[in-house]
Amino acid sequence: MSKGYSIGLAGSFTVDPLTRLLGKDLSEKGFEKSDFQVAPYNQLIQLGMNPEGLLGAKTDILIVLWRIEDITPDAMNGGQATQDIDNLIEAIKTLRNNYSGTIIVSNPPYPSSPEFDVHDLEQPETGLQLYQSYLERWQNGIQDIHGIKQMNLAGLLDNEGHSTSHDARGWYLYKQPYTLNFWKSISAQLSRIVSAQTIAAKKCVVLDCDNTLWGGIIGEDGLGGIQIGQDFPGKAFADFQKYCLHLRSKGLFLAIASKNNEDDVFEVFDKHDAMVLKRDHISNWQVHWNSKVDSLQAIADELNIGTDALVFVDDNPKEITEVQERLPEVECLLVPEELAYLPSLLQNTGLFDIAELTDEDKKRADMMMAETKRKSASTQMSEEEFRKSLELKIDIFEAEEQHIGRVTQLINKTNQFNVTTVRRTQDEVEALSTDNDTLLIGMDIKDRFGEYGLVGVAIVQKETDEIWNIDSLMMSCRVLGRGAETSLINKIAEAVKSRNGKTLKGQYIETKKNALVKDLFENHGFTQDGDFWICDVDSVKAAPEEVDIRLRLAA
Amino acid sequence: MSDPLIDLFADVLEVDATSLNDESSPDNVEQWDSLAAMHLVAAIEEKFSTQLSTKEIMKMSSIGLARAALKDKGIDV
Repeated sequence: MSKGYSIGLAGSFTVDPLTRLLGKDLSEKGFEKSDFQVAPYNQLIQLGMNPEGLLGAKTDILIVLWRIEDITPDAMNGGQATQDIDNLIEAIKTLRNNYSGTIIVSNPPYPSSPEFDVHDLEQPETGLQLYQSYLERWQNGIQDIHGIKQMNLAGLLDNEGHSTSHDARGWYLYKQPYTLNFWKSISAQLSRIVSAQTIAAKKCVVLDCDNTLWGGIIGEDGLGGIQIGQDFPGKAFADFQKYCLHLRSKGLFLAIASKNNEDDVFEVFDKHDAMVLKRDHISNWQVHWNSKVDSLQAIADELNIGTDALVFVDDNPKEITEVQERLPEVECLLVPEELAYLPSLLQNTGLFDIAELTDEDKKRADMMMAETKRKSASTQMSEEEFRKSLELKIDIFEAEEQHIGRVTQLINKTNQFNVTTVRRTQDEVEALSTDNDTLLIGMDIKDRFGEYGLVGVAIVQKETDEIWNIDSLMMSCRVLGRGAETSLINKIAEAVKSRNGKTLKGQYIETKKNALVKDLFENHGFTQDGDFWICDVDSVKAAPEEVDIRLRLAA
Repeated sequence: MSDPLIDLFADVLEVDATSLNDESSPDNVEQWDSLAAMHLVAAIEEKFSTQLSTKEIMKMSSIGLARAALKDKGIDV
């Protein structure tokens, strides 16, 4: 018996069903009773900051499951959803710093909300694309965080089937979206991840030959008579060999235990073109007429591993039974009667799950990663190309009566991207809008995901004939990273110029929340002058070329 | 004589069948939490080969009421 764990569960939805199911799955895997702590649902950001507080106790393992449609109000709103995904990545980073145990986090499945209905004809270009970008965003963000174990919830749901795994009634009644059957799948997968932490993985696959690696009996049918190759059932044997080779590439040994004449077996490995496995792939050969138990023992001895690290595959139930009786620690798998299932025999067994990758494994993974990165570098978008792809349209204008409400709202609620944080009442704003020595400027943004509306405001006032002071400048954080701020400042300069002003003056007043704009003026060509920042209207940083910007000034 | 509905509830709630009766509800059975409610729905649907609506599920706030709701569906237990 392995010791039981204390397990924390958190999710963007109700994850309580796991307490029972995972407890059962783990005890079936030989763990003592696990205890569970469940965080209130959909409080993942808070969980990052204070995991123990939210779970109510210290835990060894923390499992986090989430869905896109739970963490963002409208998963079709790409900008917002991406931001929310970024926020969650940040929360997981924070969690990693605040939590000493093992963290297991799922990836997000294809959204189940109606807008993502796969039957919609435009889904391939809309929902699917958005989803893929979310998944990639998540993957890129999460893989940089050290020591996070991922659970492929998306893949699991694809495999089980979306329509049969969702329970709309459970969602509305208990805020839990899945059927009991799907919860069982989630639990089974999680129990594998958890037990991989402690249970030794298998190290060697021991294979029989006749009717296991190929169809027929080499001693009777001869090289030309055995079945291996492109046609069924030969293809099934070839695919099975391919999977064995895949396991070898993960660092497992392959060995042969066959009751045969050695020369016959070697002839197949050396001479049959359709053989995927070659002689070099096999680490130990036991081809003779002694018992399989002797063979397995010999393989373990020669490879210097325990017999408990062996997996044995044979088509003969008698051999399997004998091994099971005399070497119960060996995992035995019988070749299925339906050969179509042979290639997947070793898949999804959990036998080869390894919790911590060895240095060698990591090296290999690193090399593969480097290669992937090189390949993608050439296709990766620059920031300019990204903006271009957004088809960004920015409309900058002098605010009129119809805009006063929204402008006042922004003035009073924008905290982060706000250089002076001067608040004003609606009456004050209205007065400014008709003042001749004040430019009350609004900014409207839309891109191919939709309209963001009026998201930026500037109040620029004439101080002298030459100097115009930026009294206020603010923007909603939703539209950051698109060059909108540069467009706004550049067009402010243009507007001031049209009023015959020569110099822009700005000020940064620090608050607890506006560090974001600390360097804003410096980055846009302003120079410091005491508490203020000064810039000639012609020297302001140019607006990004790839953005379609319009400036409308009152006549 | 054993009562199949009581047995089902006892099985899912992991309590002794003799501790349950038609008056048993989430208020007086500690193990009957929202999670158990979900399992109960699945168990009832499986055992009586039926589908419960959210309305019916919400009505089943005691074993007696569950019995009545099933009776309305033509399932006599």
